[in-house]
Amino acid sequence: MTVVGYLVNAISLGALYALIAVSVGLVFAVLRQINLAQGEVMAFGAYSLWLMRSLPIWLAIVLCFAICIAGSLVLQVAVFRPLRGASALATLIVTFGVSYGLEALWLVVFGPNGKPVSMLIRLNNTVIGGAIALRWITIVDIGAAALLLGGLYALLFRSSLGLRMRAVAEDFSTARIVGVRIERVVTVAFVLCGASAAVVAVLETVQTPLVTTTLGLSLIVVALVGVVLGGLDHLGRATAGGFIVGFVNSLLGSILPEQQLVFVTSLTFLFVVIVLVVRPAGLLAPRGVGVERV
Amino acid sequence: MRRSSWLKSVVAVAGAVGIALGTVSVSGASPASHERANKATGKPIVIGAVIDETSTMKPFDQPALEAAEVWAKKVNAKGGVLGRPVEFKVYNDELQPALTKSDAEKAVAAGAKILWVTCDATFAAPAIEVGLAHHLLTIAPCTSSSEMGPKKFGPAGRLAFSFGNEPSTTGAVIARLLMQKGWKTATVVTDHLLTYFLDVCENFTADYKALGGKIVSQLSYTTGDHTISQVASKAASSGASATVLCTTTTPTLPTFVTSVRTLGNTKPIVGPWSIDGGFWEPKTPKISTNLWWATYASVFGDDPNATVRALYSQMKAEGEAPLTGGFVLGPTALEGIVTAIERTKGSLTGAKLASALVHFHNVPTLSGLVSFSNAFHAVVGRAEAIIEVSNDKPHFVQLLTPGKYGLVLHT
Repeated sequence: MTVVGYLVNAISLGALYALIAVSVGLVFAVLRQINLAQGEVMAFGAYSLWLMRSLPIWLAIVLCFAICIAGSLVLQVAVFRPLRGASALATLIVTFGVSYGLEALWLVVFGPNGKPVSMLIRLNNTVIGGAIALRWITIVDIGAAALLLGGLYALLFRSSLGLRMRAVAEDFSTARIVGVRIERVVTVAFVLCGASAAVVAVLETVQTPLVTTTLGLSLIVVALVGVVLGGLDHLGRATAGGFIVGFVNSLLGSILPEQQLVFVTSLTFLFVVIVLVVRPAGLLAPRGVGVERV
Repeated sequence: MRRSSWLKSVVAVAGAVGIALGTVSVSGASPASHERANKATGKPIVIGAVIDETSTMKPFDQPALEAAEVWAKKVNAKGGVLGRPVEFKVYNDELQPALTKSDAEKAVAAGAKILWVTCDATFAAPAIEVGLAHHLLTIAPCTSSSEMGPKKFGPAGRLAFSFGNEPSTTGAVIARLLMQKGWKTATVVTDHLLTYFLDVCENFTADYKALGGKIVSQLSYTTGDHTISQVASKAASSGASATVLCTTTTPTLPTFVTSVRTLGNTKPIVGPWSIDGGFWEPKTPKISTNLWWATYASVFGDDPNATVRALYSQMKAEGEAPLTGGFVLGPTALEGIVTAIERTKGSLTGAKLASALVHFHNVPTLSGLVSFSNAFHAVVGRAEAIIEVSNDKPHFVQLLTPGKYGLVLHT
């Protein structure tokens, strides 16, 4: 594989993590709460694709979106609403508990062996073979991320709903006083998180066609690290942080000598630690600039 | 005794949304075997089984134990072990270290004279330590590594044994398979997740070279490090006539196979028992083809041993069809225990039983000939069943021994 191939792969994995990071960042921006349970919404979506494996692909994907959005809204009502006003740390711990509990539930309901999902497996075929080895799924990964993130940007900065979301993100109480319908804004945020989870579930099962109980937690932990790396206080930077972590992880996997490959994860996290020691507010947070949430 | 797990509490809550819990069932006995079980009337020989019936080791631990329980009924129906019936007391440790230790202590307190543990020496370590501290013979029915024994547990480990194959045996079997098939160049891909994978691939490499094979490329990754696609790309373009992959049925396995196949490489991918089962294969014939593995028995209805087929059918009929051929290691371990007790004329002392086991040389069992020695507390030299997957259809190919190889790194 050539350098071009390495870079394309790195962009692809970065895009996937950016999609996860944007969900975490969005909930934090609106509610000041950390949503670790987002990973289990993705896992639920992935399992739903297995459950619906005999349906036409388009229908299975549509239902996967519906299930992820419904799951996300259930989380909002059952977990986040009661925790409204609690500290970010408290929600981090609670949602970690929810995540762990859901993982245990998948274990009991779906078993420990994993469920094979072969939907859209042809997307793994190559567009360009040989040394570059560019796959369709890589293009879809990048395209989906660009589409979703672009759409979110347009929503936030080109619509009145986005304006209200940014107002809530800036000052929850004041936004309520001036008449912003808080619940509607929060609901939209969780719908977007659910849609993002569905996109990740579909993309992930194409590349990793065996859904296991650890799918959600393994993705969300890395994405959360990316969010912190980029800067938790700003949605754009949090998303970029997710991208950077995925990009670095993939690139290290490509360029490290064979004997050093066992250190890929360690080196990725070492990179994050060094960045946070030097720039505690996040790699992308400008020096001396106040907190901006969206 | 079976411990109720906290997961069942979780499911009780989930019941409100209509999710049904499938509780773990005990291998049931036929009415006939219940009646005949009364033939062994002495004081029961209690084997305390501390295994995982919930988490990631469940697919390995549970079938082995259930098959052993079926086998125990047969033993008891024939008069037991020197007139004493065999009885399992089962504890579900959920792979939680604290529970593993406390369950082992409970098993000892409940009168277990032999400890039966999870099929991974690291997960089982808390239970093994308890067994060894109480000077009990401690058996892992299907651990396929050299860790059961003094290598990992020091001098006390002389009481620890496994009835899985030594990685050297598996490595040699795979090496012989490749040479037999004319695949004279290989790429070796090692997952650093478990010592077992490293051992199998290392032994394969040594034996393959000794047999005249050439290693074209050595690649590695660690499950969870998100580099499997890059590894697959390198493997697919290596030009080797086969790829040997030492990993298990984590999501990286189908990812690797899918990536290699979609890059146009249709050459054989070969692995050890840890990729047995077929449940992980992408359901796409063009991708799930030319896959091979070495295991203990076929779970695809075509094992050459009629007793194995019958046992598999019985377990399947009871709703507990084993996913991998490792289930035969449960009865094998029980046969080994029975033989050791008989050879010690009924002693249950750990040291005496261990002494009997190290003198095992080609002892016939359900899974083949079992040999141990002071140096090897896992089975050496036993033939393995070769399974091939063609167009998403797994089938038994042949039994293959390691021949004179398999000990290259140890002698």
